[in-house]
Amino acid sequence: MEASFLAAVYVSILAITVIFIVLVILIFTIQALVKLIPYKAPPPAPARPQTASSASGDQDDHVAAITATLAMHMGKSPSEFRIVNISQP
Amino acid sequence: MEFSFGASATKILTTTGFSSLEGGDIIMLVVACLLLYLAIWKKFEPLLLLPIGFGCLLANIPMSMMASTDAGGLLNFFYQGIKHEILPPLIFLGVGALTDFGPLLANPATLLLGAAAQVGVYVTLIGAVLLGFNMHEASAIGIIGGADGPTSIFIASKLAPHLLAPIAVAAYSYMSLVPLIQPPIMRLLTTEKERKIKMAQLKPISQTVKILFPVVVTIVCCLMLPGVTPLLGMLMLGNLFRESGVTARLHETSETHLINIVTILLALAVGSSMTADSFLRLETLKIIVLGLLAFCIATAGGVLFGKLMCKMTGGRVNPLIGSAGVSAVPMAARVSQKVGAEADSSNFLLMHAMGPNVAGVIGSAVAAGVFISLFGDIPAVTEPHAAIADVIGTVEPGIKAAIAQVADVAAGVN
Repeated sequence: MEASFLAAVYVSILAITVIFIVLVILIFTIQALVKLIPYKAPPPAPARPQTASSASGDQDDHVAAITATLAMHMGKSPSEFRIVNISQP
Repeated sequence: MEFSFGASATKILTTTGFSSLEGGDIIMLVVACLLLYLAIWKKFEPLLLLPIGFGCLLANIPMSMMASTDAGGLLNFFYQGIKHEILPPLIFLGVGALTDFGPLLANPATLLLGAAAQVGVYVTLIGAVLLGFNMHEASAIGIIGGADGPTSIFIASKLAPHLLAPIAVAAYSYMSLVPLIQPPIMRLLTTEKERKIKMAQLKPISQTVKILFPVVVTIVCCLMLPGVTPLLGMLMLGNLFRESGVTARLHETSETHLINIVTILLALAVGSSMTADSFLRLETLKIIVLGLLAFCIATAGGVLFGKLMCKMTGGRVNPLIGSAGVSAVPMAARVSQKVGAEADSSNFLLMHAMGPNVAGVIGSAVAAGVFISLFGDIPAVTEPHAAIADVIGTVEPGIKAAIAQVADVAAGVN
């Protein structure tokens, strides 16, 4: 029993030492990474005018979908008319 | 075929579960119902205790072939996922996808709190040896102090599979009891003044650092402790899915559907191992007591190291965040926040406590890696692709030569 107890104590000391060594290495690695690659605040997004002609992303998709639906409904070519504004209530 | 009503009725009666029901089965059915009660009505880790309880219920219905040891039974197939170390690493994949290591990266010194809380693992190991367990069993019991269910299951299935059921139940039960176990210890070991310490706001971290972190941890930790690679590697893969920003679908799957499916399989498999033979033993009682000891000492270790850091930094660290080093994400961090807010309602420790909390996950995985290095059967052969070599060794020499030729050509191309 005494031998097992001593073995358990040795294992515990060894293991906790290994854990601290591994995590200290990680700490220094993280510190090096943070120093080498500092945080840069993202540039502020440019303000966009609220007109359909300059709409982009989702609004472009909406304009395309509405144009196509209207063209089909009116029996006209999409080039014969232009949606100039989409406003939400 | 001649039909006799009496003989048929007798046959049906002798093939019912009631005819084979023994005292041990009845006790285990009661234990299963108790787990279901705790999960449903007391809300103790319901996502885990409910399927574990139901798995236990199924496993203890005689002649149902649902115990983990019943080869060919449904739950035996699920159990293969534990036996072959598949399910716990998959849980870690989901945990990695759910975890934000930002607070840890902003204050890397909190990794030490995650290490300090592992002291519970080792004091419990010594206690288990004193109670008559061998080193393999004691290691598997000690890891309960890591407060990490998948790690406990992983180590138990590797080092002491016969103790898997009580270890898993103890680990998950105490994890659910963290809000009850930790606060008295935290209050006992800290002063009112220490609990009121406000910590400086965490600095923001570059996204590139967040992306590099899982890769660096995998390389550093898995090279030092290869045995931990299944757990830590999957944890970091899940986190890379999250932080890379280019695998949104994989990230979403890992943090939702995959982890849920694997949790069901894992918990049912654990429950199916809770048979009377494996559970109704004196060892189970000892494990339950040792598990509680592990949690208490781990909490105390974290808080005491937090006090040390508080002294060394001139009072800039609130020692309460040390208790979060016991893993149990994010419950332990919430407990730090709650106890801190009791002392000063304007004190917000949650994000500071998340650092040691996720450090605890890494710490307990590293502790598991140390046990595997010491007691696991890691192959000493350093030859690469040993698994493929085994396969090649079983085929006829002609095919073996052809495979070698293809490998040579591929090497030439590369």
